[in-house]
Amino acid sequence: MTQTKRHRVLAGVALLGTAAMLAACSIQIKSAPDPSIPADTMLVAADNGSPLFERNFNPYMANKRTATFYMYEPLVILDNVTGEEHPWLATGYDVSDPSTVVFTIRQGVTWSDGEKFTPEDVAYTLQMLKDFPANDTQGVWGFIDSVDSDATTVTIHLKEPNVPAAQLIATTLIVPEHIWKDVKDPTTFRNPDPVGTGPYVLGNFAAQQYTLDKNEDYWQADKVAAEHIILPATNTQLDVATKGYDWAYSFISDVDEAWVGAGNENSYWFPPGGTIALFPNLTKAPFNDLNLRQGLSLSLDRKAVGDAAAEGYMQPAGQTNILLPYQQDLLDPSIPDSGLITKDDATALQYFEAAGYTQQGDQLVDASGKQLTITITTANGYNDWLKGVQEVQKEWGALGIEVKVDTPQPAAYQLALRNGDYDLAMGGTGGTGSLFRDFNSLLSSSYLKPAGEEATNNFERYDNPEADAILDQFKEATDAQTQLELGYELQNIVYNDLPVISLYYGGSWGLVSNAKFTGWPSEDDPYASPKTYESTPLLVLTHLKAVKND
Amino acid sequence: MTSTTAAPRGVEGKSRSVAEDVPLRTQGSGRAARNALYILRKLGLFVLTLWAAVTVNFILPRLMPGTPADAALAKLAQNGPVSDATKAAIEAQLGVPTGNIFEQYVTYLHQVITLDFGVSYTFYPQTVSELVSTALPYTLVLVGVVTIIAFILGTLLGVLAAWKRGTWLDTLPTLSGSFASAFPYFWTALLLLFFAGYVWRLFPTSGAYGPTATPNLSFGFLGDALYHAFLPALTILITSLGGWILGMRNTMISTIGDDYVTFAEANGLKPRVVALRYAARNAILPNLTSFGLALGGVVGGSILVERVFGYPGVGYLLFNAVTNQDYPLMQALFLMITLSVLVANFLVDILYGVLDPRTRR
Repeated sequence: MTQTKRHRVLAGVALLGTAAMLAACSIQIKSAPDPSIPADTMLVAADNGSPLFERNFNPYMANKRTATFYMYEPLVILDNVTGEEHPWLATGYDVSDPSTVVFTIRQGVTWSDGEKFTPEDVAYTLQMLKDFPANDTQGVWGFIDSVDSDATTVTIHLKEPNVPAAQLIATTLIVPEHIWKDVKDPTTFRNPDPVGTGPYVLGNFAAQQYTLDKNEDYWQADKVAAEHIILPATNTQLDVATKGYDWAYSFISDVDEAWVGAGNENSYWFPPGGTIALFPNLTKAPFNDLNLRQGLSLSLDRKAVGDAAAEGYMQPAGQTNILLPYQQDLLDPSIPDSGLITKDDATALQYFEAAGYTQQGDQLVDASGKQLTITITTANGYNDWLKGVQEVQKEWGALGIEVKVDTPQPAAYQLALRNGDYDLAMGGTGGTGSLFRDFNSLLSSSYLKPAGEEATNNFERYDNPEADAILDQFKEATDAQTQLELGYELQNIVYNDLPVISLYYGGSWGLVSNAKFTGWPSEDDPYASPKTYESTPLLVLTHLKAVKND
Repeated sequence: MTSTTAAPRGVEGKSRSVAEDVPLRTQGSGRAARNALYILRKLGLFVLTLWAAVTVNFILPRLMPGTPADAALAKLAQNGPVSDATKAAIEAQLGVPTGNIFEQYVTYLHQVITLDFGVSYTFYPQTVSELVSTALPYTLVLVGVVTIIAFILGTLLGVLAAWKRGTWLDTLPTLSGSFASAFPYFWTALLLLFFAGYVWRLFPTSGAYGPTATPNLSFGFLGDALYHAFLPALTILITSLGGWILGMRNTMISTIGDDYVTFAEANGLKPRVVALRYAARNAILPNLTSFGLALGGVVGGSILVERVFGYPGVGYLLFNAVTNQDYPLMQALFLMITLSVLVANFLVDILYGVLDPRTRR
């Protein structure tokens, strides 16, 4: 018996020792790049397998490999951080007639199999999207009536005047007619051996990692610095921090310590990629009352909400649906303080009073003495949103509003949002890079659906003929100055009428290493979004310089 | 009890030898009939449970709010507004369920019988059978082999602990076993991953084989696969070993107290023979039941471990299916899991009937 006891004690001591050892290990993660990866090769966390990769390079499929975007190019690249357009496979386009778009197609571009790229390919691609609507993920045929092409141009006749639609059509990825015309069903075609016009071609493909090789015949091959790109299927945050990645798109908690602190000349840039806002259900009382929305808006400390949600990396958002500071040019200068609302409880209480709510004890109550109770719906698992909502809950709670938080699964959250089945819901707005689209999807009554039916946009169900009229004018406005002024008017509507209550900017989480390549988009050189998917990476990949030239 | 057993035992033996000719035969055919009835009854129960499971499997995913297209759109909407057309295109690609609930049920039953579960929503255009057949071997090998190892090792350690009760051979495995099995799976997994994978860099941190390897049956690849399976296997072993040790030890201790063990010892049999062939053999029955169930559960994989180690097995697939509301994939996987547990249960029932005649009554 005594022996047993002694052994128990010994075992206990051993366990304590192990625990102490674990506790003593405070570990600073260091990045240690794999020495077998040469200096001209880029390791990118852009594509996550689930957990394996499927060999799918069909540009129109949701489950395509991310690198499809590095192989197929659009006519024009629209950068969503700056809102700037970059002519790409088209050297430019003309919409002097708001119902006709004429794209001038770039000459001297070849497909990666050596065939010549022609306007025919563009016309074919658009026709294919018409024949197979499941591939038309941007819905360009909602605007197009017919397509003509000649030796140098592609002319698109629109169903009705719609200048902003040109931009949308221009971002369609173009595929080669000589290959795709023989594909029986382009909606299920997995395109295992992609042939594109882009800077990279497929190297080795394996289920856990694939590589890209530089397309030596690329039309701007001299601008492409990385000879090879490696895309692993698993890119956990620990992988990204320790394995010497050159480029990743991910929010890492405490990024200064975990990413920059890991060495390898790591840096980051988190420009705004959209506005995170509270969507009030405008079909429901009391949220249809502007006074109440003013009260809610004025009683929020947006900086505190943004800090709670994004650890202080994101700025509070102005009430204009414009991404600052990179889209400053689009902002109406007459809006005070760039649209940023400062917390002002006294004025908020005046608005609440105008809406019929007064403070009684520590509660904000209506005429019958019932406390104002609001439920905020946010998606389960979106921790940043939840942390932001909890801050909102705290601040409104201090005024005597009871705030409940509902966190359904993402699919159920999406359904509640679309069906108008909520009081206030967290959501993202703006950030498409197109001023028109940012406001159209937020304000246009063309998306209106009665509560209970699915709306695809305008989830708050905003209905204002004035906004519709401005949006209609925008569709016909061909000169930049008119567009700018119409943009001002739309911002003022959002600012004054509060169809949504903006909170903070959602980040574009760009993590880069300057060890092998420099010239990444950054605060000092904000030429493109740092994201690794969609077409903006083409801007980055043709902008980088190799550190070592041997 | 002990005092009366000595005398009637001789009588029993005598009566049995007397009745050896004719009565034994009728008793034998009666036993066969009873056996057949027992198996038939179990089989009927099995079929009924199977039908219920298949039906529940049909209903459950449909009770979840939102459609798969909503789940896909929720993901897209995190990056910005989603247009009308995108929604229509995604719905066209995914093929949202059509027909009323009864038509869907009939289609579903037909699919179950023909093992055709259609196209996965999440991994469109891959088919469900394509996905499952890629994932299944990894899980069967990883979780299956480790479950067998854990059962054998745990049971042997349990026997040892019970036999050497009170010594360090008892304390150490029992204490550390119960300690380790109290850890959550994922915690052990994360700890192993962090230290052995990232800090000491002894083992790969994810995947079932090296990034550039292609699966084949060469020794090089198998070695690589074993190397990658080591940490996940160790996690499962650490967390499941304790259960087997404790289960075996506790039944074994009560068996050791039984008369026939004392009798065997008194007869001068070697301690090892007594421990293994007398005590352990009887004590293993409950552990065997759990082993059957554990084997049935192997098909479901080990979701957390596979998730943490990025192991491309069924558990990871199930995780993806559930988070993306992938009905076809979910149904196929749940059905597979239910079926294997039911079959394992059925086999254990039958085996029990053979091992312990009392259960047949």
